[in-house]
Amino acid sequence: MALISQADQDKLREAFNEMTSPVRLLFFTQTLDCETCLQTRQILDELPPLSDKISIEEVNLVLESDKARRYAIDRVPAIALVSGEKDSRIRFLGTPAGYEFVSLIQAILLVGGRPSGMTEENRKRLAAVDKPLTMQVFTTPT
Amino acid sequence: MAFVSLNITAYAVEATEYPDLARKYHVSGVPKTVVSGDDGEIEILGALPQDAYIEQALSALSPTALHEDTKATK
Repeated sequence: MALISQADQDKLREAFNEMTSPVRLLFFTQTLDCETCLQTRQILDELPPLSDKISIEEVNLVLESDKARRYAIDRVPAIALVSGEKDSRIRFLGTPAGYEFVSLIQAILLVGGRPSGMTEENRKRLAAVDKPLTMQVFTTPT
Repeated sequence: MAFVSLNITAYAVEATEYPDLARKYHVSGVPKTVVSGDDGEIEILGALPQDAYIEQALSALSPTALHEDTKATK
């Protein structure tokens, strides 16, 4: 059974229509000891049927540890958003349910080419950052 | 922000699923942002307007971590 209602699917399909670049969701998972990996996979599986620009690639944290390291992922479930070969450096740790699902959709649209709403001045300030900066935004599904 | 700067990586962390991280950073309310840069760690509580949020996030960086032309505008 679909997790997303028909009405929401229609809305998402319309929003995804605005995407100009493909977005690949790297889904980091492992076979054992991951209570929410299956649920996360089920949520993600709902997205590619809504847009031919969205694809899912499963990465096993244990078997493909090199790849996980390259994306700085050390826990599951986790999602990294990639466009072509370009890493967006946007990650989601944990199940993207509730409000997190909305954030994931916004991130997909951003990486897919939708204007971000960031001012030109702020864009310049951020582009000038030349040392690594890590931002962790803590949220809950409700 | 990560999308604009090659040096910024952004993680959306589901706090209830990662209680160890939530504990480590003393998360008692959401949203809470923990920014780690070369000048230490700063916390942003709640949601802020874009300018203020970016201003605070960049304060985790030492002045030398920003290009000259940016510093001049500060």
